[in-house]
Amino acid sequence: MPQNETIKELGLDEYKYDFVTDDKPVFRAVPGLSEEIVRQISAHKEEPEWMLEFRLKAYEIYESKPMPEWGGDLSTLEATLDNIYFYLKPQDQMERSWDDVPQEIKDTFDKLGIPEAERKALAGVGAQYESEMVYHSLKEQWEEQGVIFDSIEDGLRNHPDLFKQYFATVIPQADNKFSALNSAVWSGGSFVYIPKGVKVEIPLQAYFRVNSERMGQFERTLIIVDEGADAHYVEGCTAPVYTTESFHSGVIEIIVKKGGNFRYTTIQNWSNNMYNLVTQRAMVHEDAKMEWLDGNLGSKLTMKYPSCYLVGEGAHGEILSIAYAGDGQHQDTGGKVVHAAPHTTSQITSKSISRGEGRASYRGLCKVYDGALDAKSNVECDALLLDETSRTDTYPYIEIDENTASIGHEATVSKVGDEQIFYLMSRGLDEAEAMAMIVRGFIEPVAKELPLEYAIELNRLIELEMEGSVG
Amino acid sequence: MSAPLLVIQDLHAKVAGEDLEILNGVDLTVEHGQVHALMGPNGSGKSTLAKVIAGHPGYEVTKGEILLNGEALLDLEPDERSRAGVFLAFQYPAEVPGVSIANFLRTAMNARVGDEDEMDIFAFQERLTEKMELLKVDEGFASRYLNDGFSGGEKKRNEVLQMAVLEPALAVLDETDSGLDIDALKIVANGVNTLSSEDASLGVLLITHYQRILTYINADHVHVMIGGRIVESAGPELANKLEAKGYDWLHQAAATV
Amino acid sequence: MNNTTAAARTDAVLPKWNFAQFASELTEPAPLTSARKAAWKRYSELPFPTRKVEEWRYTDISTIDFELLTPAIRTEEIDEELPADVREILSQSGDRAGVVVYQDGCVVHVELDQVLADAGVILCSLAQAAENHPELLQQALFETRPSTAEEKLWTLHLAILSGGYLLHVPPGVELPAPIHTFNTLKTPGLLTSTHSLIMMEKSARAAVIEEFISEDLDEQTVSLHGASVHCKDSAGIEYVTVQQYGRGVAHFSTQHTVAHHNAKSITFNVGLGADLSRADVTSRLLGPGSDSEMLALWFGDAQQHFDHHTLQHHKAPHAHSDLLFKGALTDKASSVFRGLIQVDVGAQLTDAYQTNRNLLLSEGSHATALPNLEIEADDVRCSHGATIGQVDNTQLFYLMSRGLTQRQAERLLVFGFFDEVLGRLPMAGVRERIRGAIEEKIGL
Repeated sequence: MPQNETIKELGLDEYKYDFVTDDKPVFRAVPGLSEEIVRQISAHKEEPEWMLEFRLKAYEIYESKPMPEWGGDLSTLEATLDNIYFYLKPQDQMERSWDDVPQEIKDTFDKLGIPEAERKALAGVGAQYESEMVYHSLKEQWEEQGVIFDSIEDGLRNHPDLFKQYFATVIPQADNKFSALNSAVWSGGSFVYIPKGVKVEIPLQAYFRVNSERMGQFERTLIIVDEGADAHYVEGCTAPVYTTESFHSGVIEIIVKKGGNFRYTTIQNWSNNMYNLVTQRAMVHEDAKMEWLDGNLGSKLTMKYPSCYLVGEGAHGEILSIAYAGDGQHQDTGGKVVHAAPHTTSQITSKSISRGEGRASYRGLCKVYDGALDAKSNVECDALLLDETSRTDTYPYIEIDENTASIGHEATVSKVGDEQIFYLMSRGLDEAEAMAMIVRGFIEPVAKELPLEYAIELNRLIELEMEGSVG
Repeated sequence: MSAPLLVIQDLHAKVAGEDLEILNGVDLTVEHGQVHALMGPNGSGKSTLAKVIAGHPGYEVTKGEILLNGEALLDLEPDERSRAGVFLAFQYPAEVPGVSIANFLRTAMNARVGDEDEMDIFAFQERLTEKMELLKVDEGFASRYLNDGFSGGEKKRNEVLQMAVLEPALAVLDETDSGLDIDALKIVANGVNTLSSEDASLGVLLITHYQRILTYINADHVHVMIGGRIVESAGPELANKLEAKGYDWLHQAAATV
Repeated sequence: MNNTTAAARTDAVLPKWNFAQFASELTEPAPLTSARKAAWKRYSELPFPTRKVEEWRYTDISTIDFELLTPAIRTEEIDEELPADVREILSQSGDRAGVVVYQDGCVVHVELDQVLADAGVILCSLAQAAENHPELLQQALFETRPSTAEEKLWTLHLAILSGGYLLHVPPGVELPAPIHTFNTLKTPGLLTSTHSLIMMEKSARAAVIEEFISEDLDEQTVSLHGASVHCKDSAGIEYVTVQQYGRGVAHFSTQHTVAHHNAKSITFNVGLGADLSRADVTSRLLGPGSDSEMLALWFGDAQQHFDHHTLQHHKAPHAHSDLLFKGALTDKASSVFRGLIQVDVGAQLTDAYQTNRNLLLSEGSHATALPNLEIEADDVRCSHGATIGQVDNTQLFYLMSRGLTQRQAERLLVFGFFDEVLGRLPMAGVRERIRGAIEEKIGL
C-alpha cells in the first residue's frame, strides 16, 4: 500500500517532524482511563476485532508517551484528565437539561441571535430537528453521486473495506500523545468519501448530519477525496460550544488524491475551561489542492496545527487561520506544510488577536525535503494586540534541504492605532464600534474566505467581545 | 434668531501632557451657510484648531469654549461631535486595512440614526451611488479598503466623499489642498462647492497654507492665524494680499499686539 | 523552552584531565582562580546539551570528544614584539588604536596607542585586569548569566579561561581607530578559551575587530570564545568578529551586549572558517533610547555547519533593535538561524526587526530558519522575515551573457547579497578587511 509506505518514509510515526519533546517515558495511571474502558467503548460500538486491537495498541502508546513540554501550559491537564469520563454513551450526553446551561452562554446565544433549536444543540441539550428536512433532500442528491457522508461509526459499519484502507494512515496512533489518546477512545465524527471526478457544490456540513452523536470530546473524522473530486466540508460554529467537559482532542485525517480539490473549514469557540488539543492533517497527492480554514476562539488552551503533507508532484496546500485569545486564554495555533514532492506549493496566512491577558502564539513548520524540486512556500503572520497585558509569540520552523526551494516568512505585530480610532470616531462611531471595525478589517483577508453565515457570526462575535474591551 | 453654527471663544489648548500652549485665545464665529478660510504660516496652530474642534484626544483645552448651534462641544467625545454635525476632513487620514469605504460609511450612517431607524442596505447604496455620481467618483472606489494604499489625492477625495454622505452641519477641511496637483485640487474644490450648493446651510472652515484653493472655492471671510491666535480677519481680498505680501507684515502686527 | 530534562551527559564530557590539577598550575590572582572554581562546580552539575534541547536541536556536538582535548594553560609570556605574521596582516589593514595577539588561546602581545593610554584608556590582559580591577571582572564577566541552554559551554569557558583582554574606555573618550585582535591557533587538539571584556563608559566610543585564524588542523581542536560588551549611557561600540579558522576546528562564541540609555551597539559576526561554528549573540536593551544593530554573514562550503542563535531583549521602552543575518551555503554545508525578539511587559514603543536570508547554492546544502517573537507590550513595532532560496536566475543569466562562468556569476551574486550587510558597518577600514576575507573564501 503506497499510502503507508509514504508515511513510513516521512517518519510520521516517529514524531520526528513535530516539535521537540522529551522521550523519557512516564508511566502514569489515569484513573479516568483504563484498558477496560477502551474495551467497553469498542464493545458498545460493536466494532470488528481489528479496531479493538487498534484502540488497545493506541492506549498503550498513550500511556507511554510523556506530556509535551512545548506549546501551552499543560501542567494542570493531568489533573483534568484524571477527572473526566473518556466515554459518554449518547443517552448520558442527552441527560443534561437547558436549565444547567450557564446564563453567560445563554446570553451570548441571545446576542448572536442563534435560533432556539440550534441553541439547544450547541449547548448539548438537544438534537438538531430543523435541519433534518434540508439534509434529506441534500442526501438524496449526494447518494446519486455516490458520495458517502456518514458518522464515523456508520462509516466503519457500512464501508468496512474503504474505512480500513485509509483509517490512521495519515495520523498514526503514535504520532503524538493526544492522537494516541484519540485513537484509543475516539467516538463521533464524520466519514466522508467523494468518488472520482465528483464535484459537490453545496458544502458538506457536519451540522446537517443526523443520527450521529454530537461532536464528542474525542471526535474522529476521516475524509477521502478521490481523484479529480472536489468538495468543501464545514464544521463548527462561532457561537460558544458549551460542554461540561473540559477536554477536547480530535483527530481529523484527510486524503486528497490526484487532481482532487478539498477545503475543510472549521470555526470553534469553546468555553474557556477547555483544553482543546487537536491533530488535523491532510495527505495531498499529485496536482491536488487542500485548504484548511481554521478559526479558533475561546478555550483555555488550544494547540492545533493543521497540516498539509504534499506528497505528490504539483500538490498545493493552503492554511488560513484566525485566532482570538481573550483574557486568560492561550491560542497556540498555526500550521505545518511538508513538501515531499517536486513542484509543490504552499501558503500559510495567520491572523491573531490578543486581548486582556490573552496570549496568541503562532507555531508553524515549513519543511522541504531533498528532492522536492522547486518547492515554494510563503508564510504570513500578523498579530494584533489590544491591551498592554496582551501577548503574542511567533515560532516558525523553517527546515530546507532542497536548494531549489523558495521560501518566505513574514510576521508583523501591531496594536490598534490611536489615530485609527480617532479617525473612525470622528465619523460618528463610538469607541467599541471603532475598535470592532479595525479588528474586523484586520481579519478580513481570512474572514472573506468563510461561508457567509460564518463570517456574519464572526463579525457579531467580535462586536460582542469589543463591547467589553473598551473602558 | 437661531444661534450661529460655530462659535469659538477665547480658546486655549496644548498638547496633552506638555506645557506649551499652541492655541492662545482663538475667537471665531461661523454662521450657517458661510465659508471661512483660515490661513497662516506653518506651525501657527491651524491644524491644532481643526483637531481640537473634532476632539482629538492628543490635545487638551485649557480655557475657552466651542459652541455648535449654541450647544457646548468640548464635553463631547469625538463620535458625539460627529453625530452633532461636525466633520473634519483630515490632512492625513488614517489607513484602516480590511474595511471597505462602503461598509465603513454605512456603519457611520447607522451610528447617526440609532438602531430603530437603521438605513437598509439598499437605501444606503442608493445614497452612496448618488453622492459618488455627484462627486464624479469611480464606481469601484467604495469597495476599496479605507485609505489603504491610497495616493494623497485619493485620500482627499475619500474625505470629500465621506463628507457628502454624512451631510454634516459644519465641515472643517484641514489642508485638504496640500499635496494635490492642480487637477486633483479642482476636483476637491468642485466637490466642496457642489456640497455647499446642495446644502445652503452648510458651514465650511477651510484651513489652508496657500491662497490657490481660494481661486476655486469662494470664501466669505478670510482669517489669518499666527502664534495660536487670529491676528487678522477680512473679506476674500485678504487672501490676495497674503499671496502678494506673504505673512511677514502680519508677524510684525502680531508682535505689536 | 524546556531543557532541564535533557539527558545528562556530564560523564562523557568530564575531561580526563583533572580540573584541580589544571587550576594548581595556574599562576594568577586568587579571585580569578576562585571564580574559575565556582564556574567549574556549576559546569559539573549541568547536563551536556544534546539535540533534545530545543536550542541545540539542529547542531550536534556529540561528535566532538571533549575528553581528547588538551586545555590550553594560560601563560604570562607577553612578548614586546608584534609577531611577524600578524605584523604582515596589520600592514594591510589601515590604522589601529591597539592590538591584542593570542597564540593557542593565550595572550602573547598587547599594545595600545600611547596617546590613548594617557587619556585613561585601558587595554590589558585579563590576568592583569584581575590584579588591578578584580571587582570589574567579577561584575562584568563572572556575574553574566547566559540562557540555560548556553550555560554548559559558558561555565566551561569561564573555568578554563586561557586568555583574554579588558578594554576600558573612560567617559567621553573616542578611539580614532579600531582595536585589532588576533586569535591564532597552531597546535592541534587544543581546547582554548578566550574572552573579550569591553567596558564603554558614558559617551565613550570604540570599534573592535577580532580575527580568528588558523591553518587546517589534523586533530579536533575547539575554541571557546566569549565577549561581554557593556555600553553605559550614550556610549557607542562596533564589535566585529571575523572567524577564519581552518578545518578541524570547532568554534563556539557567546556574546553579550548590554546597552544603557541612548547607547548604540553594533555587533557583526562574519563566519567563514571552522567545521562547526556557533555564535550565540545576545543584545539587551536596558535603557530608553538604546539602539542595537546585529549583523552577520556566513559562507559555508564542504561540510561546514554554522549555527547562529540570537536574542534581542527589550527591557526598556523606546529602544530600537535591528538584526540582519545573511548566509550562503554550497557543497554539503548547512546552517541554522534561531532568533528571538523578546519584548518585556512595559517596554512600550519598542521598534524591533529581525531578518534572516539564506542562499542555497548547491543540491546538498540545507538551511533552517527559526525567527521567533515573544511580545508582551502592546505599543510596539515588531516584524521579522526569513527567506531561503537560490540566486536569481535572471541575474545569473545576465552575468553569464557577459562572459562569466556560472561559478563566477554565482559568487559575484553572493558577494552582492552580502554587501547589504557590509554596507551597514560604519567603519570603512573594517569593511574593507572583511570584504577581502570574503573574497578570499568564496574565491572571486
